[in-house]
Amino acid sequence: MPEALRTRTWELLLAAVLVATVVYNATQSPVYLDVDNFVNLFHLSIEKVIVAIAMTFVIVNGEIDLSVASVMAFAAAVLASLHEGGAVPFAVAIVIALAAATGAGLLQGFIVAKTGLPSLVVTLAGLIAFRGAARVLVEDRSVGDFPDWFRSLGRDEILGPLPFAVILFFVGLVVGGIVLHRSTFGRVVYVIGDNPEVARYSGIDVARVKLTLFGLSGFVAGVAGVLFAARLGSVRANIAEGFELDIITMVLLGGVSIFGGSGSLLGVALSIFVVLNIRNGLGLANVEASVQTGVIGALLILSVLAQNLVDRALALSQHLQDKRGTT
Amino acid sequence: MIRPERLKELSLAAILVLTVLLFSLLVEDYISGRIFNRVTTSVVITAILAAAQTLVILTRNVDLSVGSIVGVTAYVTGDYLVGHPDTPALVAVGLAVLLGCGLGVVNGVLVAYGRVPAIVVTLGTLAIYRSWLIDHYGGRTITTDSLPPWVVEFPGRTLVSLGDLDLRAVFVIVVVIVALLQLALGRLRWGRRLYAIGSNPEAAVQAGLPRQRLVFGAFAASGALSGLAGFLFLSRFGTITVVAGQGLELDSVAAAVVGGVSILGGAGTLLGAFLGALLIDVLDQSLVRVEQVSEFWRNAILGTLILVAVVGDVTLGRWFRRRLSAQARPETAEVAQSTTVAVVGDA
Amino acid sequence: MKIRQHVALLVAIGILIAACGDDDDSETGTADEGGGGGASGETVTIESGDDMSSILLPKCLGIAVFDQANEGAQEAAGELGTSEPEFLGPATCEDPTGQIDTMTNAGTQGVDAVMISNNAGEQIQSGVDSAVDAGVSVVSWDSPIPSGEGESLFVAQVDFDETGVVMADMAIDIMGEDGGELAILSASPDAANQNAWIDAFETALQDPQYASIELVDTVYGNDDADESYNQALGLVDSHPDLELIMAPTTVGIAAAAKAMTDEGLCDTVKVSGLGLPDEMREYTESGCAPEFALWSFVDLGYLTYYVTYGLVTGQLDASEGQAFVAGRMGEYTIETDPTRDQGLRIVMGPFTVYTAENIDQA
Repeated sequence: MPEALRTRTWELLLAAVLVATVVYNATQSPVYLDVDNFVNLFHLSIEKVIVAIAMTFVIVNGEIDLSVASVMAFAAAVLASLHEGGAVPFAVAIVIALAAATGAGLLQGFIVAKTGLPSLVVTLAGLIAFRGAARVLVEDRSVGDFPDWFRSLGRDEILGPLPFAVILFFVGLVVGGIVLHRSTFGRVVYVIGDNPEVARYSGIDVARVKLTLFGLSGFVAGVAGVLFAARLGSVRANIAEGFELDIITMVLLGGVSIFGGSGSLLGVALSIFVVLNIRNGLGLANVEASVQTGVIGALLILSVLAQNLVDRALALSQHLQDKRGTT
Repeated sequence: MIRPERLKELSLAAILVLTVLLFSLLVEDYISGRIFNRVTTSVVITAILAAAQTLVILTRNVDLSVGSIVGVTAYVTGDYLVGHPDTPALVAVGLAVLLGCGLGVVNGVLVAYGRVPAIVVTLGTLAIYRSWLIDHYGGRTITTDSLPPWVVEFPGRTLVSLGDLDLRAVFVIVVVIVALLQLALGRLRWGRRLYAIGSNPEAAVQAGLPRQRLVFGAFAASGALSGLAGFLFLSRFGTITVVAGQGLELDSVAAAVVGGVSILGGAGTLLGAFLGALLIDVLDQSLVRVEQVSEFWRNAILGTLILVAVVGDVTLGRWFRRRLSAQARPETAEVAQSTTVAVVGDA
Repeated sequence: MKIRQHVALLVAIGILIAACGDDDDSETGTADEGGGGGASGETVTIESGDDMSSILLPKCLGIAVFDQANEGAQEAAGELGTSEPEFLGPATCEDPTGQIDTMTNAGTQGVDAVMISNNAGEQIQSGVDSAVDAGVSVVSWDSPIPSGEGESLFVAQVDFDETGVVMADMAIDIMGEDGGELAILSASPDAANQNAWIDAFETALQDPQYASIELVDTVYGNDDADESYNQALGLVDSHPDLELIMAPTTVGIAAAAKAMTDEGLCDTVKVSGLGLPDEMREYTESGCAPEFALWSFVDLGYLTYYVTYGLVTGQLDASEGQAFVAGRMGEYTIETDPTRDQGLRIVMGPFTVYTAENIDQA
């Protein structure tokens, strides 16, 4: 099946699942369609979904970044410990935290680009190392005591009922969509993911693109980490643990191939909404968080399996058609 | 000429020795029975999981569900033993291994026959197995005192003591298992086929190798070994919660990678993975004792070291290969690099 | 040794009585400030009537003491004839975000009350605020909301300051007059009760009678058996002269005791703290954990449910000076919480110190 057609069918399927989920949840709980609940939908996952936008770029490019959750914690830890130290004004501390996160991404990207090591391995080491860096900074403690304006940025409504982080997510989605699907850079990302050798021969500076993407991934993880700190009010070294799995699941469920070169941000956006709605609905039914994750995991496997079966059915029918043509 | 795998294993062993020497300089009374005991007891679970992961990675796949399989098998076996305390040891271990194998079979079917990428399948089963465990058992914890005593005492059983140094039964068993698997992988035909599938899947299929059966087998074996690790987990900790084993999958991949197993498949040995697990554990246990290093630096140092190990491995490997091909004729340089030739020669 | 243990018990009881006496003083002292118009002097007996939907939210599932609290709450609900409280909690104590989730969802679900043992420190505030906005009553037990905001009342199992003294007494009892090195193995660095107890312990240690005790380290096991086990071993590795591990957490004390037993260290390193007799029995009998303390979690759950019911049905005012009778637990009076900047509490009491002698009766 041609790429574009596959992506479109995947998006349609996701949209159908989304509608089904919302309808089901609405019948189970009368308050489901309230605006307040819409905001609550994002409640615990807003940082994850922001990172998912960046992760889409990375996976479409044929790489993977397992370190995002650790970099989130690292950025939050940098912010918290700088604030605790009191040496720099808070706004400056935020800038430093974001720079540190971007640096973390660039470092890993550099290693991937220059040594050709698989990103799975490099970012696995990064996952361990940056989580460790967070531990060095805040140790075993819970560090917080952030200024009020920062706390309120994390929790209060800014535009209508939407908090800052949710607005940022939608803006990011739109910008990301434009860059990935309408710009030259976006096209290059796809080409490299599809076939890095061909890309290289076409004169694309593959190393530079990879470096940029990992730097972007680090930066976005840093933003998410800072927002997380604002929402929680305090930082511990183990925050965001395990987030990378959720984030990668959301992207893969969105139809992005793990091998790179295909998928759409629209698909990822739909998958995000599907996951959030499922989690929210299950949460209201008092289903425990890990069980929710199990449901999502099953959905992930089933979606790829279904895709494969459809592919095989189509190939089979094509094969039969060909046979009929030759007799 | 030394084969590259042996070279890798030797260099790992050398690094291990160097590490121990380094720490003996930094830490007082470092070389003692106590550190040997501590390392040998704690490395067993990771060592088995590293072996499991290696089998899968060799075929150019990955198994992220090993942690959840450990959790499920540890808990279910523990629960069974609480209800049936007179179960013979072999039956209990067999239960864990069989359950793990079954869970691995699910992975194998989806990856090999369903053609779903391994990372997708095992991410999914990681979540599904864990969620079943939590949902089925609620928050109940299995406590040590409800288990038959032989289970909990097992890690402490010593075969022979040399002064302070205890050679624990668990450690010996694990070493034997790894050694046997290593021999099997090197000598038996399916072992070489496993390497072939991973290093060049298309060529291997064209040469007539049963790719699907081999991949399926790798996942089933990984599951079985994870089940064994689950039993070891149960006996080591006694108290098992529904979140037992979380995160072990990353440890197993790290150990394999440090041990020289290439994530791209087709290269690396079980012995290497074992040494990788050992190295990581020695580092972990030793860093605690260095006074200047607070325990909070452990993960940061560990992650950096893994990175250095892997980057070093790649750059050294390239340097070696360039030297070897400069020395030897081009054809033999090819032989040194790829094992597909060995398979073709077989058929 | 026998006499020492009896003395410790008497000392603990004596301190308890003294503490109760102090509470009365503080009460009369602040009565003049005249907070809300609440009941003064009138003791309300909580009686059954309307139904109440509620959630019992422990720190996490899988910990025996919280199961016991649930037992107590269910017992209370049975007596009052109300719907059983839903026992919900995150699967692991390491990640507090599960509690924030449940608290926030409670508002959407429209339950009447959430009874929480707070494991999320200050992070729970956003969840509490949104639940209270939606009309949910929030009562804390075992571990309070640090700011006291949004919380109607905190049901304290014991006076937290007193916990420090009880631990100090057990420590000096186990280590002897020569004292020695001691380390704390706690649960979560966010757990309000843990932090309060550790503070109280450190304060208590400043008293000259404990001068020979040196607190060398505090580590966190997050109420996870593996982590606590490894942390206990880590303590021994980094402090070779360590004589006592004080773990004011039932998971931590059991894990530390197992770790010491597994490694054969019980002769040199003892374990104490807050523990469950069922989990600690073999270690107390072996001498690894010669003394530890606790209270009844069943009673705590029972009392919490009664009080919550009283508040939700309007029989009680959440104000200082309000006295009431809560089923079989008897009479209590609401007072300001001296261990926090603001907030109300009732203190359940008493401690029980377990030793090899009385552990069989537990």
